[in-house]
Formats: sequence, C-alpha cells, structure tokens
Amino acid sequence: MRKNIKALSIYVINTALAGIILFPLIYALMISLMQPSDIFQYPPKFIPKSLYLGNYIEALRSVPILRFVLNSFIVSSVVTVGQIVTASLAAYAFTYYDFKGKNVIFLIFLSTMMIPGEATIIANYLTMRSLNWLDTYQALIVPNLSTALGIFLMRQFFLTIPKDYYEAAAMDGASKFQFFIKVLLPLSRPAIGSLAIYSFLMTWNQYMWPLLVTNRDEMRTVQIGISMLQMAESQSFGLIMAGVVMIIIPSIVAFIVGQKQLIEGLGAGALKG
Amino acid sequence: MYRIESITSKANYKVKRRSVGIFLKNFKAEIEPFLYLLPAASIFIAFTFYPFFKTIYISLFITDPQGGLSKFIGLKNYFDLLTSSDFLNSLYVTFKFVLLTVPFSIVISLVLAIFANLNIRGKSIFRTFYALPISISSASAAVIWTLLFNPSIGFVNYLLGLFGVPPIGWLTDVKWGIVAVSIVTIWLNIGMNFIFLLGGLQNIPKDLYESAQIDGANVFLQHIKITIPMLSPTLFFVTVVDVINAFQQFGVINIMTQGGPVDSTNVIVYSIYRDAFFNFRFGVASAESIILFVILLILTVLQFKTGERKVFYR
Amino acid sequence: MNFKRFLSLVVVLTLLIAAVGCSKGQGGSATASTSQYSSSNSSQNKVIEITFWHAMGGNLGAALNKMVENFNKTHPNIKVIAQFQGNYDEELNKLRTSQQSKSGPDIVQVYDIGTRFMVDSGWAVPVQKFIDEEKYDISQLEPNLLAYYTVDNKLYSMPFNSSTPILYYNKTAFKEAGLDPNSPPKNFEEVEQYSKKLLKKDASGKVTQYGYSMAIYGWFFEQFMAKQGALYANNGNGRDARATAVVFNDEAGLNIVNWWKKLVDEGVAGNFGRNYDDTLNAFTAGRTAMFIASTASLKQVLDGVGNKFEVGTGFLPALNNNKEGGVIVGGASLWILNTRSEEYQKAAWEFIKYMVSPEQQLFWHQNTGYFPVTKAVYDMPEMKTHLEKYPQFKTAIEQLHSTPINRATQGALIGVFPEARQTVEKAIEKVLQNQATPKEALDEAVKSINKAIENYNQTVSK
Repeated sequence: MRKNIKALSIYVINTALAGIILFPLIYALMISLMQPSDIFQYPPKFIPKSLYLGNYIEALRSVPILRFVLNSFIVSSVVTVGQIVTASLAAYAFTYYDFKGKNVIFLIFLSTMMIPGEATIIANYLTMRSLNWLDTYQALIVPNLSTALGIFLMRQFFLTIPKDYYEAAAMDGASKFQFFIKVLLPLSRPAIGSLAIYSFLMTWNQYMWPLLVTNRDEMRTVQIGISMLQMAESQSFGLIMAGVVMIIIPSIVAFIVGQKQLIEGLGAGALKG
Repeated sequence: MYRIESITSKANYKVKRRSVGIFLKNFKAEIEPFLYLLPAASIFIAFTFYPFFKTIYISLFITDPQGGLSKFIGLKNYFDLLTSSDFLNSLYVTFKFVLLTVPFSIVISLVLAIFANLNIRGKSIFRTFYALPISISSASAAVIWTLLFNPSIGFVNYLLGLFGVPPIGWLTDVKWGIVAVSIVTIWLNIGMNFIFLLGGLQNIPKDLYESAQIDGANVFLQHIKITIPMLSPTLFFVTVVDVINAFQQFGVINIMTQGGPVDSTNVIVYSIYRDAFFNFRFGVASAESIILFVILLILTVLQFKTGERKVFYR
Repeated sequence: MNFKRFLSLVVVLTLLIAAVGCSKGQGGSATASTSQYSSSNSSQNKVIEITFWHAMGGNLGAALNKMVENFNKTHPNIKVIAQFQGNYDEELNKLRTSQQSKSGPDIVQVYDIGTRFMVDSGWAVPVQKFIDEEKYDISQLEPNLLAYYTVDNKLYSMPFNSSTPILYYNKTAFKEAGLDPNSPPKNFEEVEQYSKKLLKKDASGKVTQYGYSMAIYGWFFEQFMAKQGALYANNGNGRDARATAVVFNDEAGLNIVNWWKKLVDEGVAGNFGRNYDDTLNAFTAGRTAMFIASTASLKQVLDGVGNKFEVGTGFLPALNNNKEGGVIVGGASLWILNTRSEEYQKAAWEFIKYMVSPEQQLFWHQNTGYFPVTKAVYDMPEMKTHLEKYPQFKTAIEQLHSTPINRATQGALIGVFPEARQTVEKAIEKVLQNQATPKEALDEAVKSINKAIENYNQTVSK
C-alpha cells in the first residue's frame, strides 16, 4: 500500500513536471488552431472553440515553408554526415596515434568552442562573398562541417574502447586504417548515432549564419523562415504559431527517432571517464 | 670488370632505394595522423582561425559606414570600450544573465533527471518529454514565449493573475526583461542538461544508495551525500557548456527584446551584433568580440583550474 | 596499402563535399546565369530580370506582390523578382552587407530615415537622372514628398509608400464613457481628460482598458517635434548643410517626454513596450481605447477589429499652438542601385514609374492605408467612392494637406538616423521606467548621437 502511494506520487510529480516543460509547445499548437477572433480576447483562451486549419493554409501561402523545410533538411543531413566523418577521423588521430604536439593541437581544436560565432561571422561572410557562395547550399554547409564538440565526443568514446581490440586486429594483419573502418567505427555506433542526432538538431536550429548568407526565399532555412514569418505577419499570432508548429515537427520527429542514441550516447557514453 | 661495376652500382642502387623507402615510411608514419586531422583542421583554419585573426586585425581600425577599413587606430577601440558605460553595462548584464541561467538550468534539470531515473513503469515517456526542449530552436522558442509574455493577451500574466499576482511587464519593464529571456534560455537548456545528468545518474552504482538507506539517510540526504559528489564530473561538464552557451545566447534576445528595455538585456553578443550589423562599426564590434573571447578563455581556464580535470583528462 | 586507401578516402571526401556544394550551387545561381545570358543575347524577345528588395510583410506584402505580378504580366520584356527582407532595419542592414560585395538588388525600398545614408553611400543612381532624361512629369507628386526626398536639389529616390501618424480611437468606448464619438482629442490636455474617462478597472483594481497608449517608437518622437514646429537636428534639420548635431533636448523635446511620462505615471496610459504591433494588438484586443499609429496600419486595424467595435481616426494630437507645425511624411521610397549596367537601371525605372502610376497608387492606398503619392488619384471616381465608404482614410490625407512645408516638417537628414532613433527610444524608456529624468535622458541621448554623427561625418567626408 505504501509502495503504491509512493509510486502514485512519483507519477503525479512527473506528470506535473512534464506538463510544465511541455506547456509552451502545447500552447503553440492550441493557438495555431484558433480563429483570429479567439486569440485576441481577454481573458485569453487556451482551448480552441473548434479545429480551425486556416492558419496553416495561410502560413503556407504567406511563405514557402515546405521549401524552407527541404532546404534545412538538405543542409542538416549533409552537415551531419560531414561532421561524423571529420570528427571520427580527427578523434582517431587523437586516440590511436602519438605525434608531436598532440595535446596542443587537441587544445587548439577545443578552443574553437570558445570563439564566439559572432567574432568570426563578419570575416566568414567576406570569405563566402569572395568565393561567390552567397545564396548557395555550400555557404550553409561547408563552414559547419567540423565542430570541437563532435571531436571531443568521439574521442571520449574511442577512449572507452579497450586497446585489446586494436592489438588483436594488428595481429590479424589489419592496417591502422582497416582497424578504423572495420572495427572501431562499427563499435562506435552509439557515439556516431548521438553525434548524428546532435549535429542534425544543431544545424536545423541555426539562426544567425543562414540569416546572413541567404537572400532569396528559395535558399532560406526554417529558422529564418520563422523569423520572416514573424516579421511579415506580426499581428497574426495564429499564423505565426502554425508556422512554428510546422517547423518544429521535423525536429521533434528527428529527436524521437534518435532519442535513445542521444540519451545513451551523449549522456551515458561520453562522460564515463 | 664491367660486370663487377655493374653489380656494385646495382647494389648501390638497391641500398639507395631502401633508404628512400625507410625515409618514405617514416615520413608516412609521421604524416599519417595529420592526414586524419586534415579535414577537421582545414575547416577550423578556414572558418574559425583565419576569420578570428582577421577580426583581431579589423579591431584595430575605424571602419566606414559601408564596412571598409578607414583608419588604423591601434588599441583605441579597446580603450574606448572599456571606459564606455554602455559596454560595461553589457558586461554586467552578461554576467547577470549567466548567473540567472546556469544555476537554474542545472538545478531544474537535475531534479528532472532524478525523477526520471526513479524506477517506475513508463519512465521512458517522461525522459522523452524532459529531453524534448533540445529539439527546439532558440528562434521558435523565442517566438512562442514572446506570445506567452505578450502584454495584452499573454497567458503567463493571466495564469499569475489567477493567483492574485499583478500583471508583470515581462518584455517592457527593466526589472523583468532579463528574467524573461532567462526563463526561455533555461527552458532551452533543460533538454541537453537533462540528457547529460541522466547519463551521469545511471552510472552511479545502486548499492551506494542501498547502503546509505541501511544507514538511515533519507532521500534528500542521499542525494546530497551521494548523487552530487558522484555526479560532479558531469555537473562540471554541464556547467562549462552552459556558461559558454549563456555567453553566446543571441537568438532569444534578438527576437524577444532586442537588448531592451533600456539595455537591460543587451548582452555582449547582442551588442556585437548591433554594432556590427546595425550601426556598422565593424572595428568596435570586432574589438568587442575579442574581449568576449578573452573573458571566455579566462573563465574556462579558471573553471578547469578549480574544477575537475578528470572530465577531459582521465 | 592502408596509406593509399586513406589518402584516396580523404580526396574522395573532399571532392564529394565540393561536388555536393557545387551541384546545389548551380541550382542556386541558375536564375542569375540565365539572366546574364539573355542580356548578352541581343535578340528581340529577351527578358531583363531585376531584383527588388522590400520590407512589406503581411497584408502590405500581399498587396505589393499583386502589383509586381501585374507589372510582370503587362511588361513582357522585364521580370521583377520581389524579395521580402524583413523589416526596414533588417533590410537596410542586409543591403549594407551585400553591397560590400556589390551583390545587392537592382531596386530597393528604403525607409525615410535611410535617405541621407543612401545618398552618401554612392550606391544609388538618383531617379532625377531618369526624370531629366525623359522629361518625366513630377508635378503631380505630393509637394510634401518632394520636399522630403529632394536632397541637394535632386530627387534621389521615388516615394512609393508614404504615411503619417494618426490617432486611432475606439468609438464604442467613447460612447460608453459619455464622450462624443465624432470628436477625438485635439491636444494632449484633451488626451489626458479623455483617457481618465476611458480608463476601466475590474473589481480587483486591475486595469482592463487604458485610455491612451503609444509604442515607444522613435518615429512618434520625431513627429511630435515637427508638430511643435521644432527642429530635430541643426543646420535646418540637415537640409541647409550636413547636420553636425541633433538638438532635440530643448523645450519641445522635453514637452513630449514629460507628457508621455505624466500619462503613464497617472496610470491612464498603458506602456506596451517598444514593439509597435504590441500596442496595435492591445487596441484591437480592447485593452486601450486610443493609440497612435501609422496610417499604413489602418487596413490592418480595421480588419483586426472587425465588428467588435467602431474605429475612429483623428489628427496627431498637438502639444502647443504652433501653427507652423505639422507631420513629417514617413514610409519609404524606391532606390535604383548602380549594381548593374544601365540596361537594368532603365528596367528598374520602368518598374518605378509603374508603381507610382495613379492606378497602382489607388490600389495600394485602398489595400494598405498609405496615402497616394500622386495627386492624380484624387480625380479618380473609384477614389471618391472609397473615401465615402471608409471616411477613416481621409484623416491622413487631410492631415498631410494641412501641413505647411518648412524645415521642421521636412524632417531631418542624418546619416546615422536609424541609430539615433533607437537611442531616443532608449531615452524614453529610461524616463518611463524612472531611471532618469527627462532632461538627463535627452541630454545623454543627444550626446551619444552627436558622437555617432561626428564619426559618420568623418568617414563620409573622406
């Protein structure tokens, strides 16, 4: 009996906490389904009178949201693959090689985490311009192909893999590169998975850089789309929320698909040390 | 004679070839790790370090309204900034923002992680919910919360009103602007912090709690005595990441308050953006960026000095 | 051999990244290359493609796109691509960044206060050039507009969307409070009296309806200066010679801030912050009975309010009895950039002529609330029926025509005007939040703007 009460109270508290955390998202969904006349009322309403989809239709008409979603999807996917490649290669060098200046280089790599994007954005913009890359996918992709956090995460994971594997592979005559491709990477699936979902979400959610390097609607990504929508339709909250809901859905889906990897990889795996 | 000569030359040749071979092999061994580093390094060099040094260079100039370098002025931008009350205010606001967001983000996420780590059926659903904010961008979050904080039809004030709280000017009152953007930032931080902390909790051996229970320690005491110390490497890591993130928060502030009311949310990053892309004083903005970098560098070094080394170097 | 394989992997990856980038890039720049191709192609049926950046969102953007569409239909040799670039500030910032690489558009809509900067930038071809070449008749354009946009005796840009601030009020609330719904307050004493009557509180003492409100928007401050016949900047508002300082920390400026603060302190005026739309939304939600906004918001307000209550409009309330005062035209004008060859500039000029033609201006006026830039519109029968049906649209036009043209109402020309406006907003906020006295706040604002002007003038005169 006491045990039941305890379990019940845990459920109640968890549900309440979840309600608070999720409230803003539920609220956005509710507003997106309200008629404009329901939104501008005091006291404010939370539940729409009836399901009204007009906001979604209007939002899609107002800005090309589907195109933004496609752009974000392309950019995020390529960046994700690129980050996995660059991070695992670099992390491999940091864990399975001894070379001069290894620690210094590692620190230099990590130091990029501390250089604020704003500090480099002006000069990066000028680079894009001189390459004639403005309004192209490569401007959105290439500068993001490597992150210190990715290298750090992969390195931490590689460190947890016993050296015996490497020695056994070497005995079998495998080269260092073969070991990397055939043994280490398959073993690192959890870390790769979490890095993948992490970099996908981070790229999907980028704001300042895409704002700067895209001018044309056809090249804009979702976050820019949403702030454009907010500026264009600043008085129609229902429409803005409909836009927000539409761009949040893909990232929530990505999150739910990858959450196991994310929680296990980022949480449990990376920080065992 | 001829034969011998030819044989020796052949042998010579062989020796030569071998030494080149060894040299090549050594060279390969030397260069191999760097080839693995090459892709990441070239991206960093091209898009982080090169622009970073260029920023230092620009910070020594006055720039014209079109953004071109106009006049070399040495460190004047830095001196001007460090004596300007606006910039000092930005520094103050930034530290205030860090102090408001980092502790709350961590405490709230820790509570969530502890509850989600209790052994109940359906806990994975709660885990999904608590980690969900990681998938929300700062732009979308800011747009949603701007409406929640709306002065005329905002839901937050309405809810508080039900408890008799008078309406708060979340985005219009100097006292509350920073609180509003902090709430949103904390909300955004929760997802990632939760994931790290939950992972940390799962690594704590269960028997530690069992023996504490036998010793008669209550739940709260158990967490103080066991959870916090055992979790310290993760807590440390999360603090470092949150502090760096707080220093670089831009999206929320740009969308919700634009640094206002009366500069009360004008953190350094926002002030850089303003000076660079609104007032078009790239020189000043670059100097601000460098100062921000130096502050972050000092803070991180301090954190590593005082904190646990074992997170990075086991 | 592992080394070779690894090397080739690196090479392949690099190529792959480049290939992905390039193939996508081709899609991205396809339009640009076709247009270049067609411009070098001298056949008869070539189409000149020009880009037009604007800052019109929502119903304004929809109306604008409609006009662009019509232009493209009726002009087979020119294709205008309209691109929304955010609000005016964002758009101008974007322009500045892209002009560093000369990658800006062919036509850009820039707000009133960007005029001095645009002239100084050297990026623009003055429309005067085309007016002179073609002997284009500008006598029908509103004189107030010509007065604003003429710099150094040249019309640099073509006014397109022009507005003034007006008072919006809730006629239904006026009736409930026992006020005459057909006579809005004319000056600030009346605003205060009326507001006290319009204020409504619930049982717990919480305000449910404020009497009056205005967003903390620098434009309003500029307008109230002009309404008092006072100058914002020296050297005749920067029109006799380049302005070297702003001068609004005088009696006129203090008047504005004192009034504003008084109303807020008395609790009759609501402060809904800097965001222009938040105050507008407060009005449509019935949270304030009067507010100040641009005429360009008229359609939006009428649509937002719907049948909830009746909306009235009145002149901007006066602060003193100066007969020389009035309103400054706001809004924006269209600039032709010298980014590309004369052929493109000519096409841009064709487009601009179309946009300010009476038919288009009538459509624009009806769908937005911006007043027509050309007087020819008033002779059109459709305009007459429109004004009879929606008398609220008349207010802005009458207010404009009753404004005398002088240095105060011409508006100031300052290179750093966007920054100045923000500084003023900060100063007003400070006063309303009791962080500084009106005098302190304005003095500080003047000081900081003057420093920015000095810097700006230094770099420009070089």
